[in-house]
Amino acid sequence: MSGQNSSNQSDSFLSKPAVQSILAALLCIVIGLLIGYIALLIISPKGATEAIITILKNYFTYPTKAAAMKYLGNTLVKAAPLLMCALSIQFCYQAGLFNIGAAGQYVAGAGASLFCALALKLPWFVCLLAALIAGGLFGVIVGLLKSYLNVNEVISGIMLNWIGLYTVNMLLSGVKETASPYTVSVASTNEAALLPSLGMEKLFSNNKYVTIAIPLAILVAILLKVVLSMTVFGYEIKATGIAKDAAKYSGMKEKRNVIITLFIGGALAGIGAAFLFLSGYEQWSVTQSSVPSMGFNGIAATFLGGLDPIGTIFASYFIQHITSGGSYLDKNIYPSQISDFISAIIIYLCGFVLFFKLYLNGYLRKRAERAKERGISKKEEGGNF
Amino acid sequence: MAGNEEYAIEMLNITKRFPGIIANDNVTVQLKKGEIHALLGENGAGKSTLMSVLFGLYQAEEGTIKKDGKVVKINNPNDANDLGIGMVHQHFKLVQCFTVLDNIILGDETTKHGILQKEESRRKVLELSDKYGLKVDPDAKIEDITVGMQQRTEILKMLYRDNEILIFDEPTAVLTPAEIDELMEIMRNLAKEGKSILFISHKLAEIMSVADRCTVLRRGKYIGTVNIADTDQNELSRMMVGRDVQLVATKEDKVPGETILHVENMTVPSKLHHNNAVKNVSFDVRSGEIVCIAGIDGNGQTELVYGLSGLENCTSGKITLCGRDITHASIRERSTHGMSHIPEDRHKHGLVMDYSLAYNLVLQRYFEPEFSTKAGFLKKNSIMNYANKLIEQYDIRSGQGAPTIARSMSGGNQQKAIIAREIDKNPDLLIAVQPTRGLDVGAIEYIHKQLIAQRDAGHAVLLVSLELEEVMSISDRILVMYEGELVGEFDPKKTTPEELGLYMAGAKRKEIGA
Amino acid sequence: MVLLLQYTLLFASVLILVALGGCFSEHSGVINLGLEGIMVMGALGGALTLKYISPNTPALLIVLAVIAASVLSGAIYSVLLAVACINLKADQTLVGTALNMLAAAAATVIVKSINMAENPDNVSSTVQYVQSKKALVVPIGSFQFNWFMLVALIALILAYVILYKTRFGLRLMACGEHPQAADSVGINVYTMRWAGVLISGMLAGIGGIVYITAGVSEWKFEVGVAGFGFLALAVMIFGQWKPINIGLAALLFGFFRALSNVYSGFDFLSALNIPGSVYNMMPYIISLIVLAFTSSNSRAPKAEGIPYDKGSR
Repeated sequence: MSGQNSSNQSDSFLSKPAVQSILAALLCIVIGLLIGYIALLIISPKGATEAIITILKNYFTYPTKAAAMKYLGNTLVKAAPLLMCALSIQFCYQAGLFNIGAAGQYVAGAGASLFCALALKLPWFVCLLAALIAGGLFGVIVGLLKSYLNVNEVISGIMLNWIGLYTVNMLLSGVKETASPYTVSVASTNEAALLPSLGMEKLFSNNKYVTIAIPLAILVAILLKVVLSMTVFGYEIKATGIAKDAAKYSGMKEKRNVIITLFIGGALAGIGAAFLFLSGYEQWSVTQSSVPSMGFNGIAATFLGGLDPIGTIFASYFIQHITSGGSYLDKNIYPSQISDFISAIIIYLCGFVLFFKLYLNGYLRKRAERAKERGISKKEEGGNF
Repeated sequence: MAGNEEYAIEMLNITKRFPGIIANDNVTVQLKKGEIHALLGENGAGKSTLMSVLFGLYQAEEGTIKKDGKVVKINNPNDANDLGIGMVHQHFKLVQCFTVLDNIILGDETTKHGILQKEESRRKVLELSDKYGLKVDPDAKIEDITVGMQQRTEILKMLYRDNEILIFDEPTAVLTPAEIDELMEIMRNLAKEGKSILFISHKLAEIMSVADRCTVLRRGKYIGTVNIADTDQNELSRMMVGRDVQLVATKEDKVPGETILHVENMTVPSKLHHNNAVKNVSFDVRSGEIVCIAGIDGNGQTELVYGLSGLENCTSGKITLCGRDITHASIRERSTHGMSHIPEDRHKHGLVMDYSLAYNLVLQRYFEPEFSTKAGFLKKNSIMNYANKLIEQYDIRSGQGAPTIARSMSGGNQQKAIIAREIDKNPDLLIAVQPTRGLDVGAIEYIHKQLIAQRDAGHAVLLVSLELEEVMSISDRILVMYEGELVGEFDPKKTTPEELGLYMAGAKRKEIGA
Repeated sequence: MVLLLQYTLLFASVLILVALGGCFSEHSGVINLGLEGIMVMGALGGALTLKYISPNTPALLIVLAVIAASVLSGAIYSVLLAVACINLKADQTLVGTALNMLAAAAATVIVKSINMAENPDNVSSTVQYVQSKKALVVPIGSFQFNWFMLVALIALILAYVILYKTRFGLRLMACGEHPQAADSVGINVYTMRWAGVLISGMLAGIGGIVYITAGVSEWKFEVGVAGFGFLALAVMIFGQWKPINIGLAALLFGFFRALSNVYSGFDFLSALNIPGSVYNMMPYIISLIVLAFTSSNSRAPKAEGIPYDKGSR
């Protein structure tokens, strides 16, 4: 009897949506890492175990705590923009839109913020605002095309990614270093454009790239959670996403909502770019011929995070953790892109999450029915006495 | 024991379960060779499930199927087809952008080195079409032809495959009275040629006119099989519902009040066709009356309601609600100024299926101060309290009450939720489009009572219905719609279904009052 | 001028092959957003064949071997899409996107590993095929005829015949328009959709190798195929899912893509002094404009993107 009770308890625990999402995410991670490990084994079996551990350890490879903290800082510096891109994609997904254009909106944000910082010599908050507007505008184009001309947002998003890349390359070629394709450094050109750190660098062994970007990104995630679950706007966005026709019937302006959603999504990705480039951590190469992967990795983070803003905070950190970890591999044996490979596998597996949940729920329901039938047959037996 | 050669198909003691319900509970149907056998039951009685089992779409948990007295196993539609079983589905299974001929041959094509040989097929189709009087144009695309011709295409599909056992699933729902007569004639012809026919319906008159025998199902259970010659409509009706039914709603006479809805020369474009779906239509609905738009499906009723509710823009004309010009008003403006709308498609328009019942009950009011703060936050407690009030008042049943996800509720209760939401807005005008479609008798009675209560409370009700019985029993005034125009106005007390039928089919028309 | 024609035809060939791939997949009811990734994998298979095959092999054999390798790698890779979207009913957009990222990462990892195994100091992701690439080309005067142009033309004709004249085509399109109808007459919707996706994998696979051998003799796999899979989708939409129209649309898009390769060769164009980036952007801008005008009344297969579930009718 007690055994049956405990199994019922675990069943009801398993049937909670949040528990299922976390379970599914962990499963995706484990399988993703396993496939990554197999790939490493194929490339060179000798160091494979060490290599996968290196990826997972990331900054823990450093022997001293101070060094580890410093490089934890670096991972966080890149996790913040990733989180913003992930939130961008997630917010739009709630409204039924697959914002693959986040990558281009990120590029637009990078271009606008760097142009304001380096060419116009404006302070950081203006640069941030410029990134917000530029990213938002890129989003709005997709939104307008979608709601008024029925253009698939995935295809228009991809097209805008490339248009954005070449435009930004042109725009920033005026502020590049003479000897290299990279833009001049923000720190030496216009220190006022660097994001303030409010003393946070001290926590990370004086890692000067650690700025308010990190807490801001987390704050945005929490804000998004509140907006989606508690406000009238969130109610409308989600209704538009899951039932466009019902939303229209109820009098919501679904076209306007699509455009606003994509503006916000674009703005989030744009700010994400500013978070990275205004920290001085990276410089833009004006000859780059592929769209930065930040926006695409955001897709991995958002789905791994179970399409929940809070879950996405952790998922973004994880994706960035293994991506940074990949750079510590022995470059003469293993390509560092093995981390990208693992992230890609994880996204692919995320496609099965729905199936996994259906399967799990079906299994639980069958168990419950069987338990009920057992209960009934017991009663009937009792009645025979 | 040798098999009984008298029967073409026997379904013996069939039981089919779905999670949570038993769709068929020990059901037996025996179809004699060359007979027309009706399968009668309400919506949800298990008729469609039973036929899906016979057609190989589902597998039964218990029971056997016999063909010519021999036990057979039907695992998929191919098996059914090999046994000579064909089916005209309630929702036609036709590819819209293919031609009639392509649809007929699909799945049973004649080829030479993989290349389609359409000429041969065309000859065979034309022969069959001649023999059974099934007029079709083999080269027309499905999207361009009438519903009647689409149905004939479906019948030809079965004959093309030389099927001996023909299943007709609710075939008359989409037809005009004249087309129904024609179909009955075709069915008699087919039976005379030796085909055995299973005819699924819930319309007693049709069964009385065409069937030889009738098997009745109720809530998944087998009730009995009777010879049509030995029975009457009352007995069949009792068998179907399990009690005496008073389908004719009782309502007191009432003199209509002032005009609530005034429509003048409204024209609404159609998304499906190039021509306008609603052409230059004018009518009034007054307080305290139920006006019914009658007509065959697809004659512009849907678009008429889209135009009234704002889901589609009118290209010309004027709509006035309570003296206010709402021709160019937004959907929200109409909804907050006295218009309620029970939509035709409750899954697509009426509900956000993945929202909770509570959220669905405030679908048009979530932004009101009662349910949200000035800062734009939802007042979840108020929403829950309001939902609980409606659930109690309108007897909406669901698994977990207000937090139940709408998708998991039964069709009848989903419809009750929509009706509760729309009526509780206390509208001046209630537009109800096929509000009883797909529901059982209990739910239908309930909904008719609610509509009449609205009328008695002095509101205006505009009902769009395809069921003549419903039209005759609850309306105060009938407008018949044909090809996007109103072709006649009738007093239900002074007209007959036969007369309405002539107008619905476009055979007659007259100028409307004003 | 000849150069412009040559590149136009080459890029049009890529677009025709890949867009036809998309066309088969969508007619069966599956939206294939992973064309980009399939192209990369097809390109990888073809490039490695070119790398390892002896340049002394007869030219025709080289061409056939390259095509076979690309077709095979494209088809195998598309299995990932088919399993996820058809059998497991996954979100087709998500899976397509994942395939694009996976292909870029996997191809880079594979090529780098091969390069490092050959020479530990070579950590690039570049495959070279200078010698054997010559087998693909037949010079006719100053025009360099490429066998792949012929392949694209054959594919176009075959696609037309298959879709409109054969039993397979009729059944395939029925699955994309009304899978319940197809099922009710005994057509296995899952099988047909698998066929559609596999064909799209084969065609996009060849498209990939054509793209990376179009102008150059080596390919850096880190850069992928620059959104060409999506340009092909734009071509398909512009061509309204019909082979002949797709052929014409591909010529238009191919022309603008070719311009960015050869604009410096035209005096009046280089005199305009427009930055190269503008020419690079052209195909994408054109496709946005084209999509804006053609998407509102699209004749996309009605059931595309909706996983087929036998249970729901």
